[in-house]
Amino acid sequence: MTRAVRIGLLVLGAGFGVVAYRAQINGLGTTVLHVPGPSGTHTVGPFTTSGRSFAVVAVGIAFIAAGAIAWSTRYRNRIAPLMIATGFLWLARQLRYSHNSALFTLFFLFGDLAYAMAGHVALAYPSGRVRDKWELWLVRAGYTSVLLFNFLILLFYDGNVRLHQFDPSKRRSFLLFWANDAVALKIQEIFVAFFYGLLASLFIALIVRRFIQATPRARRLLAPLLLAVAVAALRSVWECIFTFVDRPPSIAYNELFWWQIFGFIAFLIAIVDGLLRARLAHAGVGDLVLELERTPQHRLGETLSRALRDRTLEIAFWVPNRGEYVDAFGRTIVLPTDGIRAVTKLDSDGEPVAALIHDPSLLEDPTLVGAAAAAARLSLENARLHAETRAQLAQVQESRARIVTAADEERRRIERDIHDGAQQRLVALGLQLRSAQRTAGAADDPQLRKLLEGTIAELQVAVDELRELARGVHPAILTEDGLCAALEALATRSPFPIALDVEDERLPEPVEATAYFVACEALANVGKHSSASNVTVEAHRHNGVLTVEIDDDGVGGASAQNGSGLRGLADRVEALGGRLVIDSPDGGGTRIVAEIPCAS
Amino acid sequence: MRIVIAEDSVLLREGIARVLTEEGFEVAAQVGDADELQRAVKRTKPDVAIVDVRMPPTQTDEGARAAEEIRAQHPDVGVLVLSQIVEARRALKLFSERPEGFGYLLKDRVLQIDEFVESVRRVGRGGTAIDPEVVAQLVGRRAAEGPLDELTPREREVLGLMAEGRSNKAICDKLFLSPKTVETHVNSIFGKLNLPQAPDDHRRVLAVLTFLRA
Repeated sequence: MTRAVRIGLLVLGAGFGVVAYRAQINGLGTTVLHVPGPSGTHTVGPFTTSGRSFAVVAVGIAFIAAGAIAWSTRYRNRIAPLMIATGFLWLARQLRYSHNSALFTLFFLFGDLAYAMAGHVALAYPSGRVRDKWELWLVRAGYTSVLLFNFLILLFYDGNVRLHQFDPSKRRSFLLFWANDAVALKIQEIFVAFFYGLLASLFIALIVRRFIQATPRARRLLAPLLLAVAVAALRSVWECIFTFVDRPPSIAYNELFWWQIFGFIAFLIAIVDGLLRARLAHAGVGDLVLELERTPQHRLGETLSRALRDRTLEIAFWVPNRGEYVDAFGRTIVLPTDGIRAVTKLDSDGEPVAALIHDPSLLEDPTLVGAAAAAARLSLENARLHAETRAQLAQVQESRARIVTAADEERRRIERDIHDGAQQRLVALGLQLRSAQRTAGAADDPQLRKLLEGTIAELQVAVDELRELARGVHPAILTEDGLCAALEALATRSPFPIALDVEDERLPEPVEATAYFVACEALANVGKHSSASNVTVEAHRHNGVLTVEIDDDGVGGASAQNGSGLRGLADRVEALGGRLVIDSPDGGGTRIVAEIPCAS
Repeated sequence: MRIVIAEDSVLLREGIARVLTEEGFEVAAQVGDADELQRAVKRTKPDVAIVDVRMPPTQTDEGARAAEEIRAQHPDVGVLVLSQIVEARRALKLFSERPEGFGYLLKDRVLQIDEFVESVRRVGRGGTAIDPEVVAQLVGRRAAEGPLDELTPREREVLGLMAEGRSNKAICDKLFLSPKTVETHVNSIFGKLNLPQAPDDHRRVLAVLTFLRA
């Protein structure tokens, strides 16, 4: 809608407003009548005042103006024309107070559509569509009832009684079919009860239901609007009640009138406010471009969430080689399909880049999410690569841990095979040689006997060596009795004294094995290079981290670089998510600390 | 002496059985797992049960647990545990409460037939047989402090051999000392460890216990 059309509409509305104003003032009249009656003279009127007429006209023009604003911004849907139509109908409605029969008939028939349409606007805001069959039914019932009842009234109305909301002046219906004012009045009462009473109450109920069911973001946007609408509709319910019940003197007609006017004005302000917020949201997308430059990858979600005013917004990044979405830290995200949260997927050259998980109310303005996504595309692409890298790192980390565990398992198996296989066989073989030796003794063959004795001694050495080999591969005591026992055994076999301070508790196998091999390697280095006289080994668990510390007062100078053994250990410790610190200044002793995360 | 052998390697089991039979033992049963062992001990009432630490089904410590049960249920049956590895900690866990009638040896000690047979006999008589490897570990560990501090290195050596379960005569042979010297050392050890007056056998056990628990 161009500016010219908008201005034209407003000018037209203003002209219409003047007509409506005059129709009200002239039709309803502002003078007070003194009517003589059986119980004396009583006062009637005034049925309107210049102030009230002005207010009524102002509401109509405000509807047109708000509609024009709506049309010019994001709501290029049925809301804008509906609002403009409501405004014109509202103004047109005032013509029914004219004493001209044609105008009276025409606008009495169609004028109340303004109320039905105002309700329609409220229910259809902001998408332009009602949401379900209840709302649809109510809108249809509203339109149908205003047309049907007013048509019926006009069939019977002869102009000799005062219709509700009218002055006592006589008006003629062009549609008069069977003159019966009592029937006409009765029909009008039924109409008031049905439209202003029943339908308005249902309307309030649907509005309340809508508020309750709204998502938090939608609720924030809808709250002022729905409150205003409910207030206006409540006024309508009072209208109905006072048609049948005498109004208490404490509630002046004047107050009820202004209640209605302010309800509608509040309704329009709320709509315009919503529009301005939407415009601000679009402006926020503009700022987003600037802000994104300063946003670190992992805070991209917060920035987008602020720009779109949706605190629940999350970003999921597509990882092609895993075929799944992950968060900024590489953790898997399953996109919701429950409808409670909406998902907007973002592509780049047909390849998925990311998905925004957000409040469904954002979809009411599809250009908004699209604009934000476009602004953030580069950053999202970056962040996606970041997340993908993290995901791969996590995978590598897991696989490192698996490799260590598998290697330990293999070492344990080899150790067992040595003991239960080769070693066992050698001992059995040795026993057979002993038998042979005995036979040789009986046969008095000292040479053979001696030969066998030497063989058995060699065999014994082989068995001892195998045992040492198995211990080096993976000590059985570590598997069976744990880290403390294994370190004790290590200490008792050590050629130099070792002070142990180790908690005697079982830990996960990879943790025990890693801690043991760290101590083993460190002690081997002490024996080989350091000429230390005091060596301590400590292992304590604190806050889910096992800390193994090996201290000596030797020559120092150890590092992971020059000792491949220490490098391998560092790898091992890091594979379990821990770290190895080597502090070994030349001449200042060596301190090796391994921190290994352990769950139990 | 009646013997029951529990060992899942048939070759080794039969080898041990043959050696013991040749040495005049009566091998009452040969079994391959802990359950069979329990039944065999109940049925044959042996003097000594020779038990492999690792046996089916889990190949971890079935033998050790079976040994504990036998000691609890049949206190008069000696138990000699064989293992591919010996650890002092294991040894203490197994019998530091009651070393009488118990042995704990590396499996390949069976190749030193004379010593092995002597160990079996000792356990059968209610004595003790601790693997020298274990004793060496304990001696190494106890270098620092404890009730054994006052012993001279020689006395410690003698106590170690006593702990292995050797008789005075065996100690003489091992250390190339005269019986009289050994006896002097033994009495000196008893004195330094403050062991009460009692028959020599019992004092030896007490000395060993002191050694083990120190």
